[in-house]
Amino acid sequence: MATDKKYTTVSIPTPLFEKIQEKIKGTGFTSVSDYVTFVLREILAHEGGNEAFSEEDEKKVKERLRSLGYLD
Amino acid sequence: MIGLDCAAPSIMFDKLKDVLPNITKLTQDGIYGKLRSCDPPITVPAWMVMATGRTPGELGLYGFRSRVGNSYTDIKIPTSGDVKYQTVWDILGKRNKVSIVIAVPPSYPPKPVPGIMVSDFLTPDKDKEFTYPPGLKNEILRDFPDYKFDVKFRKPERKKIIDEIYSMTDTRFRMAEKFMATKKWDFFFMVEIGIDRVHHSFWRYIDPESPLYEDDEEMRNKFISYFRMVDEHIGKIMDSLDEDTVLLVVSDHGAKRMKGAFAINQWLIREGYLKIKNSELKEGALLEDAEVDWEHTKAWAWGGYYARVFFNVKGREPQGIVEREDLREEIARLKEKIKSIRGPNGEIWNTKVFEPEEIYDVVNGDRSDLFVYLDNLDWRAAGTLGHSSEYLKENDTGPDDAVHDFDGIYILYRKGRKIGKYVDSSIYRIAPTILRLYRVRKKYGIRGEPLEGVEYVE
Repeated sequence: MATDKKYTTVSIPTPLFEKIQEKIKGTGFTSVSDYVTFVLREILAHEGGNEAFSEEDEKKVKERLRSLGYLD
Repeated sequence: MIGLDCAAPSIMFDKLKDVLPNITKLTQDGIYGKLRSCDPPITVPAWMVMATGRTPGELGLYGFRSRVGNSYTDIKIPTSGDVKYQTVWDILGKRNKVSIVIAVPPSYPPKPVPGIMVSDFLTPDKDKEFTYPPGLKNEILRDFPDYKFDVKFRKPERKKIIDEIYSMTDTRFRMAEKFMATKKWDFFFMVEIGIDRVHHSFWRYIDPESPLYEDDEEMRNKFISYFRMVDEHIGKIMDSLDEDTVLLVVSDHGAKRMKGAFAINQWLIREGYLKIKNSELKEGALLEDAEVDWEHTKAWAWGGYYARVFFNVKGREPQGIVEREDLREEIARLKEKIKSIRGPNGEIWNTKVFEPEEIYDVVNGDRSDLFVYLDNLDWRAAGTLGHSSEYLKENDTGPDDAVHDFDGIYILYRKGRKIGKYVDSSIYRIAPTILRLYRVRKKYGIRGEPLEGVEYVE
């Protein structure tokens, strides 16, 4: 979905839009779009992509699996 | 849907029947029976077979490890990203149904789901993001600071581990009950891994026929109290449901006493398939730590509750020597040899050996050339080396009390409906049952039929 436009539109339910509008009153967020963008960015950053384990993580899991008799 | 990893019909429906009033009530009022697992009957892939209705071959998942490329040593642990088919909660999500999914393997890293997801026992530790949405993690750690994904088995202090497993399971159920009561959901699915850990580590205390049987009242009581606690939680969940909710209690595979472990790589060495350069190996040495003479090795194996045998094929493995045109014949010959392996006293074993193509229509991902169920899984396979005998009474790496069995359990129940029906079934019927109960008519490529008698709870 390559596009030259900097912004695009997504649809959210109107009651949700209104809720957010209410929520951001008097905050630093100037629009619902600002808030939604912020929240989505936060979530995506937390997920850290869908890559598998880091080397250290994998070592930890392997050790545990070995102790449980699943690996040798 | 409550998943009890490894729950066995012999324990749940028979041996402990009288101390599990809630499970027993569910069986008396609902439909229940044995649930034949997939092949191999192993946690990964079995839960995802249940959740997607697909075979391990389609999923390309055959256990807790797969090879990276065709490497001899580089292995990969399954992650949520390895599940390429839609799960029932993905399908329900398309119909605006919200799901709570807790600890269904493999589910680390947690994927965005319509609802919430807590990842499974393959989560490295609590520092990681283990929930979707991410904020849920803080809530869990605040309310259940001792939340655990799994336990680590340690032989010297094995007896103490049962208390750890008890607390892990109790905490996960308390969390699940809180989610059920306070969060919005249409579909709920949790898996508790503790039952599997209790079976593998402590079966010897409840089975006088186990070769390792110990008449230890304290441990036997602990084993029973563990199941009582699970039963009480199931009772609480049962009470909390309204008459419109269907409850399904399932397990991914069963368990039975372990007769011993068979050092399959040592056997392959003796039979001339595997060549090791080391003149001496310490007992229990891992194959990956040994110096394998790959240029003279035809086949090697991985151990576990079932064994996987790989041929060293020219053009496939880095130093392969078996010509492709000879592979079929080599496979057939080794198959017969493995089938003729006898027990330590010359007893005939009921060993099953098959190629993945013999049991799956589609074979994706990294698969071994042979799957081996030693003496129909009564013996586990040890891939380690340096043992004085190929027959090991105990397992040198993990717990050694129980192995996996093909039949798990299922109970289908709805409050207010008195059915009382016993019928054995198959793991491939679970995903179709869930879709049917939510009136999803589209098949999504899932071939199984719903559980027999599902109409009684509709």
